[in-house]
Amino acid sequence: MQREVFGGKYLSKKEKTETIRSIEEINEKIRCGDAVIITAEEMIKLVESSGVEIAAKEVDVVTSGTFGAMCSSGVFLNFGHADPPIKMTHCWLNDVPVYKGVAAVDGYLGATALSETLGFEYGGGHVIEDLVSGKEIELRAESYGTDCYPRRHIETVITIDDLNQAMLLNPRNCYQRYDAATNSTDRVLYTYMGTLLPNYGNITFSGAGQLNPLCKDPNYETLGIGTRIFLGGGIGYIIGEGTQHSPSGGFGTLMVKGDLKQMSNRYLRGSTFYRYGVSLYVGIGIPIPIINQRVASTAAVKDEEIAVSIKDYGVPSRPDLRLVVKEVSYSDLRSGKVEIKGKDVPSSSLSSYKMAVEVSEVLKKWINEGRFFLTSPVELLPRQRVFKPLEIKRKEPRVSDVMRTDVITANPDDDVKEVAKKLVEKGIDHLPVVDEAKKLIGIVTSWDLARALAGDKRRLAEIMTKRVITVLQNESIDVVARRMAKHNISGVPVVDEVNHVIGIVTTDDISKKLVGGRTTI
Amino acid sequence: MIVRLIYSPKVVEKPILAEVILKTGVPVNILEAKVNAQKGELVVSIPAKGKTLEKILGFFKEAGVTAQKFTKILQIDYDKCTSCGACISPCPTKALRFEPDWTLGFDEEKCVACRTCVTACPVRAITVP
Repeated sequence: MQREVFGGKYLSKKEKTETIRSIEEINEKIRCGDAVIITAEEMIKLVESSGVEIAAKEVDVVTSGTFGAMCSSGVFLNFGHADPPIKMTHCWLNDVPVYKGVAAVDGYLGATALSETLGFEYGGGHVIEDLVSGKEIELRAESYGTDCYPRRHIETVITIDDLNQAMLLNPRNCYQRYDAATNSTDRVLYTYMGTLLPNYGNITFSGAGQLNPLCKDPNYETLGIGTRIFLGGGIGYIIGEGTQHSPSGGFGTLMVKGDLKQMSNRYLRGSTFYRYGVSLYVGIGIPIPIINQRVASTAAVKDEEIAVSIKDYGVPSRPDLRLVVKEVSYSDLRSGKVEIKGKDVPSSSLSSYKMAVEVSEVLKKWINEGRFFLTSPVELLPRQRVFKPLEIKRKEPRVSDVMRTDVITANPDDDVKEVAKKLVEKGIDHLPVVDEAKKLIGIVTSWDLARALAGDKRRLAEIMTKRVITVLQNESIDVVARRMAKHNISGVPVVDEVNHVIGIVTTDDISKKLVGGRTTI
Repeated sequence: MIVRLIYSPKVVEKPILAEVILKTGVPVNILEAKVNAQKGELVVSIPAKGKTLEKILGFFKEAGVTAQKFTKILQIDYDKCTSCGACISPCPTKALRFEPDWTLGFDEEKCVACRTCVTACPVRAITVP
């Protein structure tokens, strides 16, 4: 991402990182109205036309911006005390639960908390937007009552003005970049990356790319604890690295805070990802002080220089284990189509580039008007962090723990009557149908057979279901049970990598052999 | 042209749509269908213009079917829309797109009212009346 050529000549690391101007000097220029502030888009054009050396000399600050769904967001609230007072143990705002593991009338409302009455259609993100909009919010709380806090129930309405504090505090915002998503399966997937059409039907991606704050200073030379930023239309601060901060892999994140009371519903938007959940769109803009040539060069990084992996969300595994379908750039994704397996696949963003541009322009305006000054961070953000997965240390039941291996199969040419007899004799309901190579080609249930016998069908091939839902033996029972419920079926063949039937699992097997999540066999 | 066809109880059992297709040779596509013994309501896309379209609508009228033209298929509330793009790539007919300034654009001609965008929109800015 870091380019080594500077205006046609090579510079040593010392020359690249030699300080051109300090934050204090920049602030003095802002005070006098002499500072040169440009947006990241303008910086890219300037470096293209005049080279990085001249850009570094002329420009004091580059403003970046991003506007996307940031699930790890929320707001700390203080409601004040009622009379008689209550030590709230459970609390809801518009039926959305608020975390109450803190003091009596403090609470944290997370962006992804779901309404207990409206489910996916309303949640924490929407309450935050409604608070910022000045709307009335229903507050309900319960308690067990104590000598000092005797009240056990409270129901009232509040607005943001009634709150002592409403502090937006987001543990992970502003991802530097994000894996794009596609879907190899034959059904529509509804994910946190939006609607993914079957058979690589589309690609979705997120992030502002060349406008993204962390892409503009990937070496963390200017960003740190105490950096003043544009947050949700108000003033905020970086208060540290975000959770899952993984800077060495190019996946840096930020933890930020700011006073919700100053923010605007234009830059904080509650959202619903269909059949996934709710979130909050957050607008963040960060000023990048051009302190040296290296920062000038990274501040001019373009979409085509920022790599993105397109991953297959059709495999329900850990994000880092998802198969990479293709490596592309933000510029490829923004073009509207990417070729996958010889086919032009439509691609579109989930985060708003238009709003990201607007954020970078508003921040530029604030600085130009002398309403926003830069801060020197008290500590820069870490450049090394390992992002570990969660290891399952207890034994988890797998398909191989409950499946029956003495599976009976049939052939497509078998006679319906004979097969029906076999099912009755063996007392089973599901019969996988295999070809000569023993590969799975269909399935027949006792219900299919009953219907076939009532009609005049003779061969199994005429009545079998050809699109068979299958499982692998190392899959977790939890995932398999969800798949069976989703397709409304009571049994699935277990297959190996080459689609040979090696067993069968039924809902009966799962309920009989598993007690309290542990196998009894 | 997207049209809503309302069948009265008297005609609900007649194969009117099939007859119209056979008579005119126009491949009318059913986008949505709610039919029971009492009444029927279909939303269809008629790939025809001018006289042919008027002729088809005439056939429906003669057969006792009320045909309402969809003037606005999708409504995009631009006060809510952030132009994020979440509706664009899932659209099967490419009726939604970015304008050069990255604002969401909509091409009514291409829309088949499938509602994929309605659920894909994170801020519920798209509705089908």
